[in-house]
Amino acid sequence: MSRLGFTRGQVVGLALAFPLLGYGFRGVLVDAGQTHPAELGRWLVGSAILHDALLVPLVLLVSVAVARLSPSWARPPALWALATSAILAVYAFPFVRGYGRNPSVPSLLARDYVAGLAAYVAVVLVVAVAWALVRRRSAGGRGDGLAAPVDADPRPAHPVEA
Amino acid sequence: MTTTGTGVGPAVFTSPQHDARNAALLGSALGNSFTVCFTTGLFSHLAQYAPGWFELPARPARLYRVTQGVHVTTGVASIPLLLSKLWTVYPHLVSRPPVRSVAHAVERLALLPLVGGALFLLMSGTANVARWYPWTFNFPRAHFWAAWITIGGLVAHIGAKAGTSRDAVRRTPRDPSLVVSSGAARRSFLGGVAGAAGLLVVATAGGTISPLSRLSALAQRRPDDGPQGLPVNKSADGAGVTDLIDEVAYRLRIEGAVATPLVLDLAELRALPQRKAELPIACVEGWSASARWRGVPIRDLLDLAGAAPGASVFVESIQPRGGYRTSEINSRQASDLDTLLALEIDGEPLHPDHGFPARLIGPNRPGVLQTKWVEKLVVT
Repeated sequence: MSRLGFTRGQVVGLALAFPLLGYGFRGVLVDAGQTHPAELGRWLVGSAILHDALLVPLVLLVSVAVARLSPSWARPPALWALATSAILAVYAFPFVRGYGRNPSVPSLLARDYVAGLAAYVAVVLVVAVAWALVRRRSAGGRGDGLAAPVDADPRPAHPVEA
Repeated sequence: MTTTGTGVGPAVFTSPQHDARNAALLGSALGNSFTVCFTTGLFSHLAQYAPGWFELPARPARLYRVTQGVHVTTGVASIPLLLSKLWTVYPHLVSRPPVRSVAHAVERLALLPLVGGALFLLMSGTANVARWYPWTFNFPRAHFWAAWITIGGLVAHIGAKAGTSRDAVRRTPRDPSLVVSSGAARRSFLGGVAGAAGLLVVATAGGTISPLSRLSALAQRRPDDGPQGLPVNKSADGAGVTDLIDEVAYRLRIEGAVATPLVLDLAELRALPQRKAELPIACVEGWSASARWRGVPIRDLLDLAGAAPGASVFVESIQPRGGYRTSEINSRQASDLDTLLALEIDGEPLHPDHGFPARLIGPNRPGVLQTKWVEKLVVT
């Protein structure tokens, strides 16, 4: 490790990354008429900020609610169902809204995306309920043996196996 | 600093799933999926905007169909992978002190192009599949350059984390704090991520994998939905050619580097030896569908006009405007007998939306380069 804290892997990684980053940033600038660098920059930085400052705190809040409201055997299935449904919903959003529909191409975005999303969320819920029931049955025989701390879990963290 | 669970970040992060082993496993999966996405995306870019040194081969005929299907599908599968990976390592974002050394500062700085770029690529790719453009920049160019930036960030990140990740996936890590979660909880967590990715793939991949079509409720297309059972991206109306299509007045001009410039009407084209080929329309947005085409091999037309062997061709449409009203057929593709000036699909004249009276269809070409309503071949 160097005096500044760099490991050999980091130095090699940076040496390989700089040409790639440089090529990408140069491309954005050289192609400015097409890439609109200021707007693209806002999307790139904005995506990270939106994720870090809004999305994950929101997930944490949901996690707090799940930790407080549900028994331990139900927490992982409940969080999985919420997260997977949210991902499906976010993915489906522009399809449901139909922003890209084009009257001259009726085969484009022709599906009933509301019904499709509802069907997938239903599948997620069925899987989550089945998973939760299996966990409850297992937990029944071993007390709180399936305790799986989620974020903001009110219980102290347990020592866990490696 | 008070820590619990993973030993990193504030006490609120009590879930053991924030541990380094999960980060390493998810990071490895994500690194692979992004590498596949980047490679297939690069291929798509080369195919569409071929630089002088690159000639898209004509074979395998379905190569572009496969690579672009893989590109979009791995991108879709990467959405849960990326979000779960970022959630796993989130405590590091808010850990204190924010910067421990120059190296740590550089490592964190390199995360911005990686995280911002990765989120942007998946978001913009999804929006493109939904044909939604809530920005003013050109999607293919911005997506392409952002991909280089993201891959740069990824390489820097791999360099910084390779040692820790290798240790974290050892059966017995040298640093025991890297593994916090129990094996059962880890399997649940990672299985959940894989399940989410699998569901999203099944929900979308039917646009290109026909047997999944009925299950793919969130796909952009049904592969058999469209005029003559084949989707289109641009209709004759949308391209502004409906009033320009005239079966009687239609003429195909072959000019440029030829011994005998030709002007052929539709009857003359139909009288030439015809060839059948089953070839896909493979859209950059990931959907694809095969059809049985019949028409005149471009190579025969070039021979008829006395073009030199190995010539390439610039194809022009009667479409008055639009970024894809022209395309180029390189010499390898022009010399392939299945590269056709198609006149029929499944034994019927082309529907106007499929390019009536004549369109280009060739093996291993992106859909946007299968120029419709062809009126001129300029040999170069």
